[in-house]
Amino acid sequence: MNIKSIIVKSILTVVIVYFTFLGFIYFDVYDDRPILSLFKKLQSNSALEIVDFSVEKSESISQKPPPNPDRNPYYGDLHVHTKYSFDAYVFGVTASPDDAYKYAKGEVINHPLGYEMKLREPLDFYSVTDHGFYMGMIQAYADTSSDISKNEFTKPFHNLNREENLTVLSAGERSNIFSSILGAAIIQPYPDWHPKIIKGWLTKNTQLALKSFDYNVHKSAWADIARSANEHNDPGYFTTFIGYEFTTSTNVEGGNLHRNVIFNSSKASIRPWTRIDSLNPEDLWTWQDSLRDKGIDTISMPHNSNGSNGEMFEMETFYGNAIDREYSEKRMRNEPVVEVTQVKGTSDTHPLLSPDDEWADFEIMDIRVGSRPPTYSKPSGGYVREAYLNGLTLEFTNQGNPYKFGLIGSSDTHTGAGAFDESNYWSKVGLLDGEPENRGSVPLAEENLEMLNEYMAAFNQPTSTIKLNQGEYANTGFTQWGASGLAAAWAEENTRDSIFNAFKRKETFATTGSRIAVRFFAGYNLSSIDMNSSSLVSEAYKKGVTMGSDLLSNESETPEFIVWAQRDKNGASLQRVQIIKGWMDSNSGRPHEKVFDVACSDGLEVDPVTNRCPDNGARVNISDCSITQGVGSAELKRLWKDPDFNPNDKSFYYVRVLENPTCRWSTWDAIKRGFEPREDLHETIQERAWSSPIWYIPASTDVEVVPLGGTIRLRDFN
Amino acid sequence: MKKRVLIFLIIGLVLYYLDLSINSHQDKDIYISDQEIISLITAWVSQVGRTPNDNEIAKIINNLVEEEILYREALNLGLEKDDRIIKRRLAQKISFLKQESIKEAFTKEDVLKYFNDNKEKYFIDSVFTFTHYFFSSENKPEERSFKAYADLQNNVSIDSDPFLLGKNFVQVSFNDIKRDFGEEFALSFNAPQLNSWLKPIKSVFGYHIILITDHKDGYYPDVSEIYKTIEIDLLQDEKSKALNEYLNKIKTEYKIFINPDLKI
Repeated sequence: MNIKSIIVKSILTVVIVYFTFLGFIYFDVYDDRPILSLFKKLQSNSALEIVDFSVEKSESISQKPPPNPDRNPYYGDLHVHTKYSFDAYVFGVTASPDDAYKYAKGEVINHPLGYEMKLREPLDFYSVTDHGFYMGMIQAYADTSSDISKNEFTKPFHNLNREENLTVLSAGERSNIFSSILGAAIIQPYPDWHPKIIKGWLTKNTQLALKSFDYNVHKSAWADIARSANEHNDPGYFTTFIGYEFTTSTNVEGGNLHRNVIFNSSKASIRPWTRIDSLNPEDLWTWQDSLRDKGIDTISMPHNSNGSNGEMFEMETFYGNAIDREYSEKRMRNEPVVEVTQVKGTSDTHPLLSPDDEWADFEIMDIRVGSRPPTYSKPSGGYVREAYLNGLTLEFTNQGNPYKFGLIGSSDTHTGAGAFDESNYWSKVGLLDGEPENRGSVPLAEENLEMLNEYMAAFNQPTSTIKLNQGEYANTGFTQWGASGLAAAWAEENTRDSIFNAFKRKETFATTGSRIAVRFFAGYNLSSIDMNSSSLVSEAYKKGVTMGSDLLSNESETPEFIVWAQRDKNGASLQRVQIIKGWMDSNSGRPHEKVFDVACSDGLEVDPVTNRCPDNGARVNISDCSITQGVGSAELKRLWKDPDFNPNDKSFYYVRVLENPTCRWSTWDAIKRGFEPREDLHETIQERAWSSPIWYIPASTDVEVVPLGGTIRLRDFN
Repeated sequence: MKKRVLIFLIIGLVLYYLDLSINSHQDKDIYISDQEIISLITAWVSQVGRTPNDNEIAKIINNLVEEEILYREALNLGLEKDDRIIKRRLAQKISFLKQESIKEAFTKEDVLKYFNDNKEKYFIDSVFTFTHYFFSSENKPEERSFKAYADLQNNVSIDSDPFLLGKNFVQVSFNDIKRDFGEEFALSFNAPQLNSWLKPIKSVFGYHIILITDHKDGYYPDVSEIYKTIEIDLLQDEKSKALNEYLNKIKTEYKIFINPDLKI
């Protein structure tokens, strides 16, 4: 053997070994089912690193009241953005999480336009939920002293919030930046060979691979949010949750799949799981499941299904596969409640989906969230009542019921401070809608009209004004927003655990900002309870199930319901209480819904043919927003039996409480400035509350009860 | 000879000062501290995950030098003047400095003083235990409640309504009472009379006859009980105060001119 052939052979060997090795690595890393998965074992998951964010505080020494076994209603907001949200900062908002919590406790904080914001009454719980992706980053882009701001792509942000820019004049510039970020979440990755790519892969942290991202800034923003939540948490008096928003959407059509995530602990992951990790909500639930395995419990809460183009409550999964039992259980394990009402409209139902419901046309927002130009959002798949019905259908075909959630409301404010009061409204996006001309409730002054048109042209947006009787108005979509809503939980005491568990049980209700309280029970022997006894509630808990729960069939007995609502002491009186029933006809396999008035104000009786209360005569004087005095009820209470009950039909029942009509914010805005309200908007609204449903489970089905957060009573009800 | 020496000396001096004034060396010296380089390298390591090689270190230093040179030349040209970004950044820097310059460790006296100045903030609300008969506004509340009040004195059983939030309230604070029943109702708890049924009180929900069985006055807690909490608040407070104090002190040295005829 000569030297030459040895050299050739060894070179060949080296080349072959090298490429085999490369091939091995490639398959080991990228194949779905790698043989050895050596490299996978090197991976760690940075999103599962747990950090204890608790702060050292003196033990609260004020004696907290003992737990109430009959439970108290606590009101709060679980959807609040501060300066750490990529868009809040663009909207001119500089309120910190500390400011937000102070506001919730009743203190005054400032709107970006300079005026004061204060609650009529403090709230019981609050969670700052900034957008997880790019959390804290936009602020760093705008701060021209930060390292990251030296990159070209941060230019539009530079000193966006400098004093002279804090005026409505910059609205066009601002809204354009907002939609350009949403559209391109993953910008500026490093080249493939870069060490950061490898580090990102090894720690399952795509964010590290982006030039547009500074992981340290991101972590410190998250740590500050967590610190603030823990600092303001005051067991017995005021509850906070560490939280964030998982701002995801479908790949095409911009279907909004946003969810808020809250932690039941002073500990949390070192960073939030965001849309940069994955757009698929199923991956979020996987992450939540893994956190739960590590002892950290979380829930996620979808919102603005109305602007999801029908994608939030689809009949298929994110990738278009069929929903199966595993999917349904996973979804319900992690998403016990849905935000049904907020500033960007209400998602109870839509007039096209519930043509027989006279109250369906309530605060409808019909465009996709964040779409530019504004684009219509398909109603079907975006509203909770239809989702409940579709859930029954899915269960009917053995796919499990992924839509067995309870209801809450929240504000989604981006100023740190929710606007819940129609007569004191500042909408949600700071400079863009902080005064009446911008949000379209009063006509535009000449120079502002010109400016708006110029901006819209400069940013390539369609004309967004409308000519009406009193002049030309801004018509940028803010007229469809409103002063809503609140999350309410029935809990033993005002502590993190107690309130969090209420969400998991789905013993919750949603309001449009009003502090209505509503109790709701179902059982087979509730008529044995004395409705005038002070033990009514404890008896009802004993003999029945409450909102959020399943009622199993009891041979073919007809269930009885107790519903009891109390007015907001600062709001209008109650007009009526309704029970909304949805069911799946066990013979035809078709879903149905029906609205029953069950209790009328002022001692009026429900018409048994139409199921409607007579008019109680309450009116609103539009010239000054005063309302008819002495009409309406402070409380409404009724024992009710379903007149159309069929024991074989899967069904659900939930309560809707309606106040007497009052002025809508747009009417208040107009009359305060000497105008008539706009003729193309609702002048009045009926503030309302919705309870979580109670599901009736017929015996004829092989009791496929998905183990949810809710209580299932497999016991004798007598 | 001496003359020549003197002439040379003078020429030398002139040249020396000329040189000094034309090429002011101090302005063109760039000193880079070890600390600066080390901190840059540390940042590099934490980002990349390994130590930089000589080439890379040279690059880092070179970048630093170039930045410094450009910065100085910009200063020479007066580019920093009237630049909003720079003004704002400098203003931020000094505010930060003023806020950070406060000491973080407080003496007992500091904490005590802060507590005394802000006592109201730490007031522990008065707490009540009470029960009530409720007469719903849906059913002749005034008439029924006053009749019941009379009956109570005669030990006749009372026909009242259930209240949605419950009958018995244990150790609830004054604020909680306000939240659940409203301001008007809560007034009756200002001078509580224990263990006797009170005349019917009105709320937005109806009328109530209440019996307060226990009452603990509100009080100011002992400093030692809430020491940590006061410390946190004090630090927050000092930070925001530091800047204001500094501004107020310095403000008097400035004269401010604004066009009085400006039309907005």
